[in-house]
Amino acid sequence: MLPGAAYPDWEAIYADNVGRIYRLMFSKVGNRPDAEDLTSQVFLTAYGPLRTTAGVAQVRAYLTATARTVLAEHWRRKLGHQVTEIDPQTTDLADYADTGHCPADAHGPADERAARILEALPQRQRQILVLRFLRGYSVRQAAAELGVTVANAKVLQHRALRAAASLEKQRLDQEDPAAPDTRETYEIRERHGQAKEDAL
Amino acid sequence: MRHPVDRYVDRLLRRRRPKPFAPTADELAVLRTAIDLMAAAPDAAAPRPAFVEQLRGRLSEQEHADQGAEAPRPAWRLSPRRRFLAAGALTAAGAAAGAAGTVGVVADRLWASGSASGETAPQTAISPTYGAWRTVVSGAELPEGAVLAFDLGAVTGFLRRVSGRVQAVSGICTHQGCRLDLTDTRDTLSCPCHGATFTLAGANLTHPLQTGQPLPALPRLPVREVSGQIQIYAPRSA
Repeated sequence: MLPGAAYPDWEAIYADNVGRIYRLMFSKVGNRPDAEDLTSQVFLTAYGPLRTTAGVAQVRAYLTATARTVLAEHWRRKLGHQVTEIDPQTTDLADYADTGHCPADAHGPADERAARILEALPQRQRQILVLRFLRGYSVRQAAAELGVTVANAKVLQHRALRAAASLEKQRLDQEDPAAPDTRETYEIRERHGQAKEDAL
Repeated sequence: MRHPVDRYVDRLLRRRRPKPFAPTADELAVLRTAIDLMAAAPDAAAPRPAFVEQLRGRLSEQEHADQGAEAPRPAWRLSPRRRFLAAGALTAAGAAAGAAGTVGVVADRLWASGSASGETAPQTAISPTYGAWRTVVSGAELPEGAVLAFDLGAVTGFLRRVSGRVQAVSGICTHQGCRLDLTDTRDTLSCPCHGATFTLAGANLTHPLQTGQPLPALPRLPVREVSGQIQIYAPRSA
């Protein structure tokens, strides 16, 4: 990306970034309806204040900052906790460029995270999660594939997801002993304000 | 599915919108992991084209609602002429940056193929994300009233000079993408595939569609005349 480059108009901003914001949001909420809603909110919010005279990098920083607040508000309303957050390092959306609709070739941060989670699990647990989450198998189909009963497949999935969650939690605690849940609120405000100033 | 957290995960797996509940710390960890896994699923890869189109419509509605407001106007609310001037000013910096980066082109076909709402689609402009002003001909080679075909690789089109000003439109038919010809009378662009015709300004004259709906206009291209050279803002050559 050329930092000096600029968008000629809003249409170009939208066309270039709608996919990035959608992929960013999907990676934070895990489902299409919510990802679409949040993507809409980001663009409808940013539309007014964002000037197209800002450079590509500034536009993306502004959209990312908007996405950060929109996501925080989504979680506050929905579950009362910031379940996921947009990494403060994320400013240019480069990781969320179009991967060409081919998940096998995808090496974005979302794919790396999923791979890391799955690698840590025993084989059977990994298999059920791959079939259910990544391949979209129903419980019945996954059970048939693994040669177990539907009830067994449900239990396997339940345990696998909890085992994965617990391993992730351990890993995060080791990486960052500070409680991650309380830390980001101020950061969000500050960075959002900063990006606004940059882009306005 | 006894627990709300399981219902939440189940909704994710069914590609539905999950419902609110009050999670514990452990349940939050389960949700995070489930979301991380879903993020590697195929539907995370791209938004639905219908959604992209719909949101574009909402943004454009907002544009109309805001018209007349005194606030500084984004470039897409400017008249085509002012928008072009703004584009020129903006992209000069980009062109000057000059580093040989990869070429990314805004998917302009979305604009050309979209909005089947019955009325003629507004004329759009091809606006590469990373482009450069590229010289096509010298100004002297395009006298008043002249028309000239050009080919810059990624974009091809036709230049003309009207009332002293240079205009450029895409030379690709908005029906099925065939390359347009300039007719012998040099006042119409015609498509060799199905006979669609366009004015030199890009408006659709005749079209092969049974529906009676006109084809989208040919997108404009940003063009400028600098030191006697006519330049088009186009993707850098690969």
